[in-house]
This record gives sequence, structure tokens and C-alpha cells, in this order.
Amino acid sequence: MREFVYLRPGSIAEAISMRCEHEGCSVLFNGGTDIVIQLRDRLIKPDYVIDIKHIDGLKKITFSKEEGLFIGACATMNEIGNNEYVKTYYPFLADAALSVGSKQVRNRATCVGNIVNASPLCDTGTPLYAADASLCISGKDGDREVPIREFITFVRRTVLKPDEIVTGVKVPYVEGLRGIFTKVARRREVDLSTICGTVARVGDSYRLAFGAVAPTPVRMPKTEALLEGKTLTPELIEEAAKLARTEVSPIDDVRASKEYRLDVVEVIVRRSLTQLA
Amino acid sequence: MKYKVNFFLNEEPMELYVDANRTMLNVLRDELCYTGTKEGCGAGECGACTVIVDGLPINACLVLAPEMDGMHITTVEGLSKDGELSPLQKAFVEHAALQCGFCTPGFIMSGTALLMENPQPSREEIVRAISGNLCRCTGYARIIEAIEDVAAQNARQGGAE
Repeated sequence: MREFVYLRPGSIAEAISMRCEHEGCSVLFNGGTDIVIQLRDRLIKPDYVIDIKHIDGLKKITFSKEEGLFIGACATMNEIGNNEYVKTYYPFLADAALSVGSKQVRNRATCVGNIVNASPLCDTGTPLYAADASLCISGKDGDREVPIREFITFVRRTVLKPDEIVTGVKVPYVEGLRGIFTKVARRREVDLSTICGTVARVGDSYRLAFGAVAPTPVRMPKTEALLEGKTLTPELIEEAAKLARTEVSPIDDVRASKEYRLDVVEVIVRRSLTQLA
Repeated sequence: MKYKVNFFLNEEPMELYVDANRTMLNVLRDELCYTGTKEGCGAGECGACTVIVDGLPINACLVLAPEMDGMHITTVEGLSKDGELSPLQKAFVEHAALQCGFCTPGFIMSGTALLMENPQPSREEIVRAISGNLCRCTGYARIIEAIEDVAAQNARQGGAE
């Protein structure tokens, strides 16, 4: 690893002022499971590493039916996946959090880090896309909330400005929301997703989100529109599964071919809808 | 620039000056000569560097050295008490749950962390808890049996449920 200065702010305001002072040459450091590897492989070369784990209040996970779920930036994957509220009201998000890496990695890795890293195959992305989550952001000009669908703009690109930090993610509570998270990988544990997806249902409204099939995680507006207000029948599910293929643009890579990914998207949509019917 | 870190290593208080661009694994092995913790992949995939921090298993290769400040760290060297191996260490010996031995400290730490959290884990829970540790020799069966053995001992000691 190249040399850098390690900073440990005690408050969000201090973190923001460090980001401003070292604009363009700092990186925010949370669980570190991605950043340490990027530092080691010299994929990033920051002069300053800003560790936000000691900022008060960023580890909390809170829930109420009025406010929904809030996951602080420093809550780990294991804390999220084993949280009673998450397991009760957003089980598909708990499944996704517990599908990341190994137990050791999940004790360090965070959901917010997973989202800010903005990999197309981020495991906790699709449940949050399906649940219409928003990122809570603080910067020198104040706070703002950005829907996750607008937050990630491309492979490893987000709308986060150089002075800003993500303090948490908000997930609205929707009465009756049911969802299924599916991860297809080369092995069952400790692997990146070849494809991941969340299919959710509220009454006769459906939300489909997939990862590793486009430059960012995606929702499937055409398939959702096709299903809207309808009762699921085998014929409709078949039609939706075929339509879903047209809403993704996967590539060939080391994990799978484009054709395989298209087939798997169809299979996940078919199986998930059948289960939700 | 050096960073002062105060932490507990196997219950011993430590004070050290470390570089930011080193990992906890580097510090444990190269500076403190605690070489029980191994480096396999250095990327959080093999689990050979597993240590227990504040009760939870983590990969020492993914922790920056200055982060050690304030931590309670347990390495494989900290498991035996007064020269006597821990129940899990004994079970690994009795079940011959190792061949080359390189992955063994990592497995012992993952197994120990699991048994601390859940003294009587099921086979499925054991398998899941060690999924972040790779072994290329044993085929895992004996490792799982060794952990199951300690779970069974705990069940006997804790009274039949």
C-alpha cells in the first residue's frame, strides 16, 4: 500500500470539512472490505483516508411504521441481516445482506458502503431499488435525500459530490409488501453475484429489480406495467418473464455470458412471481 | 507518520506506533511476531487471517493498522490457558481436523467465535459459520465434526434440553 494519512472524524461536520479540505485526494473509509483491497492493489491512490466509523449515531438501525426503516451508514451487513425489524418487515433485504461475502466480511462490510461503491452487482442494491429506498446525504450546503435509483448513475459512479457523505439509507414502510431476493453465483457462499434480483409485491402492484444485468441495478418498468393491477396467472407470469428479458442489457464477463444472464433473469422472474402468486 | 494505537491483544494491553498503510495482519505477524494468524489471499476470501475482535470474527487482512486502536483482539495464541489447549483446539487434534495446518488457526477462530455466540450450533449453522474459511486438504468433514464435538460437550455440560 502507498502511504496516506489516516483521519478519524468524530462528527459528520468534521468529516465534511475534511472532505472539503482534501477535495479530490481523499477517500471515505467505512467497513473497508472494498477499500483496503483497492488501496492494496493501488486502484485508488488517496492521500487521505477518512474513517467514519467513530462518528456517533451512524451505527443505528431504527424502524417505525410512520418513518420506515433507517439504516445508519456504519451498520454492518450482519447487524442489518440479523435485525428484528429488517427480518420482519424487509426479509428480502435481510437475505441480501446475509448473502454478502463471509461472516467475517459481513462483520465489517456495510450496506451503505455496498451502495456507494456502486457496483452493478451490489447485493443489497436490488432490495433497496424494489423498496424505493433513498440515501441520506450530508454536505457543506446541508442535507439532502436522493432516491437510490437516481443515486447510482453508472458502473461505480454516483451523484455524491466531493464534499458529501452518505449518513444512511431510508426505506419506506409499505403495508403488505412482500418480496423475494435471489442471488445466483458460482458457489453458494463467499461469491459475487452472477445475477441478483428482488421481486416484490404490494397488493396487485409489482416491483422488479435486478443487478449484474446493466451498468447499474435496474427496475423493470415495462414488466411492472404489464403486471399492474392484474391477478397472477401462469400465462401472465410467462409473459412477464419473457418481457423482463428485454429490459436488461447484460454483458459477457468472467462470471457468465450474456445469454446465460438473460435466461436466468427470465427464470428468476418466473419463479419469484409464482412464489408470490 | 506513525499512529499511536492502544488495544488489548489476548487480554494483554498493548501500546504501539503503527503505519497507516499496514494492515492488522501485518502488525500482528511482522511487528508483534504473532504468526499464528496466517496470510492466505489477503483479500478477505480465504479466512486464514481470521481473528476475533470484540467478540466477532473478522479478516485481519482487511483492517487498517490505525483502526486497531480501542479493539479487543483475540488471536489463536490467546485460546490456550495455562498451557492447556481450548476445548475446540483439543477437538481438532482428536478428530485430526487438519493436514497441512495452514488454514487451521482461521478455522479455530471462526469455530471459537461461533461457539461463543451459540454454544450448541447445528451442523448447518457450523457449515455456514465456516464458509468464509478455505481448506484445501481435509474436505471439511473432520473440521465440522470437531466443532460438533464441542457443541455436544457444551450440551452435556449445559444439561440436556
